[in-house]
Amino acid sequence: MDRELITGGNFSGRSAALRRRLQRNGGQSFFLGPYAEAALSGLSSTVTDEIAVYARDARRAAFAPLDWSGFGRRKPATLSGGEQVLLALHCFSRSAYETIGIDTALEQLDAQNRAAALDYLGGAESGQRVVLIDNRLDPAAPAPPWSRREAADGPDPADAAETATAAARYACDLAGIISELRPRTAPAIALRGVDFAYGSDRPIFRALNLALEPGRAYRLIGRNGAGKTTFFKLLVGVLAPACGTILLDGAAYRPRASGNRAFALATQNPDHQWCGATLAEDIARRRRALAGRGDVMPPSDALLGSLARKLGVRASDQHLYELPLAARKRLSWLWPFSGAMPWIMLDEPTVGQDRDTSAGLAAIVSHLCAIGYGIMVVTHDEEFAGRIAHSPLRIEGMTVQPE
Amino acid sequence: MTPNGAAAFALIVIVAAVAAHSLIGLAVLLALCLAFGGIELGGRTLNAFAWPVGVVAPLALFMGIVWIGVVGRSPAEIAAGVSGARTAALGYVTVVCARLFLVALAIRLVVLRFADSTPLAFIGALKAPLTAKKLIALTLSWMDTILHAVDRSRTALVTAGIIAPRLSLRNAANGWILVQTVWLSVVTIAIGRLRDKWPAESTLARLEEALRAPAPSLTPRDGWWMAAAIAALAAAPVA
Repeated sequence: MDRELITGGNFSGRSAALRRRLQRNGGQSFFLGPYAEAALSGLSSTVTDEIAVYARDARRAAFAPLDWSGFGRRKPATLSGGEQVLLALHCFSRSAYETIGIDTALEQLDAQNRAAALDYLGGAESGQRVVLIDNRLDPAAPAPPWSRREAADGPDPADAAETATAAARYACDLAGIISELRPRTAPAIALRGVDFAYGSDRPIFRALNLALEPGRAYRLIGRNGAGKTTFFKLLVGVLAPACGTILLDGAAYRPRASGNRAFALATQNPDHQWCGATLAEDIARRRRALAGRGDVMPPSDALLGSLARKLGVRASDQHLYELPLAARKRLSWLWPFSGAMPWIMLDEPTVGQDRDTSAGLAAIVSHLCAIGYGIMVVTHDEEFAGRIAHSPLRIEGMTVQPE
Repeated sequence: MTPNGAAAFALIVIVAAVAAHSLIGLAVLLALCLAFGGIELGGRTLNAFAWPVGVVAPLALFMGIVWIGVVGRSPAEIAAGVSGARTAALGYVTVVCARLFLVALAIRLVVLRFADSTPLAFIGALKAPLTAKKLIALTLSWMDTILHAVDRSRTALVTAGIIAPRLSLRNAANGWILVQTVWLSVVTIAIGRLRDKWPAESTLARLEEALRAPAPSLTPRDGWWMAAAIAALAAAPVA
């Protein structure tokens, strides 16, 4: 049995190294990438069908921390990020593949599911070979049965040159961002009696009452699929509560009628937030949407350009979708850092990011709190959360409660 | 009833709807569909009507304005060079819309009849070449991909305030941005699958295996419905 942990920071060539190892297997390896399009087959309309695509006479135990029979008719794309990873692992466990490659996907799992997944993958039942990239396992001395393998161990010198170029091209200066951040005074948020359900059979929140103060960081905690991202979508107005009110500094806030004027959201998958093909187009459209609204001051082009450079993107005509995923993820923090909105919501901001980047991001988040912003962060990254003074909010039993 | 019997029934009704030239012929087909719904779906038959009505209503409105309101004659009258009447235009619009309605209704009835089955199980049970089954499964998956891209693009643009979640003038001005964002999302999703996931796994080969299940034989119930549909097919063009 073979359990490899590919180590190295962002742009070290670790994803390419993982793909190379899988390619040697001639299309006979299961691949679990960081987001849905690289985690699920994309060939099925329901969870039942997704399992059916892969299910064969598997000679190993099933990995099933969730009861998938209750998800049978759900569309896989509507599952939360963590649930999608669990579904993909279940599909692998039912398949005949003997090798699995996982590129940072386990970072989306809550503590319990992550422990279960690592137990399964590390155990004798999961398969003959597991190749893993994971920023949260100790890269210096991974616990048995994982053996460390440097990304740079690859046999192709062309890859090494390409890797060095990418590392230089997308290098970021997170410490330099702190001096660019503009102070804001965020409003206090109050939710009163908020109900929300997906259809008639999936209640998410019931009689939700919550008060959030500015100048503080709140960490939303809950199992995969508990409703953390849904909570964010309610605040920005993408989803409408069935009843209840949201107040900003005591005044009614109706984002679906008046537009979002308080929350900058960095989504878990960065590709869920782009508003244009290039960075310049994305920024111009965001600024235009804010123009003419007296209560919101659009950030300047100069500030946005400077922040983008420090996040590792030097050209405004850069096509967003041509950037490597790790660079796209960093760039997804641009709008929240620009000061356009007083509340910042970060959904799993450190997924796929190496430890240095996570530490730099934690310093920025702490500074944002100190200069008056309100922060809400969803993260299963304990090390990142531990670097920020925060108040935990637990999503459980269809409500959100301070711990 | 088997998926093959239901698919054959729907196919024959669709051919008959296209071949029918009169409202009487179309009424015969509607009666057949109602009978199918009543026997195979029971109380769910009424649910089957909502989707075809939604599909046909915009077309009916548009054709009504153009042919009855503006043109005031039927195409046959225009071809014959006679002055014509709005009632003939009304008849023409009704026949075209009724045909489309029946096509949509036949598909919807079959979908609801096998609502307990999953799309892949239904496609897998069809007696058709593997390539055709793969094509149907891939078409469905791309429809889901586009719907997912619409959802995530809408989330991005509503959050940024570029479009509104409800009816708004802003949406009329910026709707094209949603279209562009959706297609960018679709391309990104496709690249993610084609570059990373599918080559590593030979995922399409897994789909083939999933669809290779033997098709169940037709049942007498299939035979009755197919015979009724064939009779309607024979009657519709001459009615």
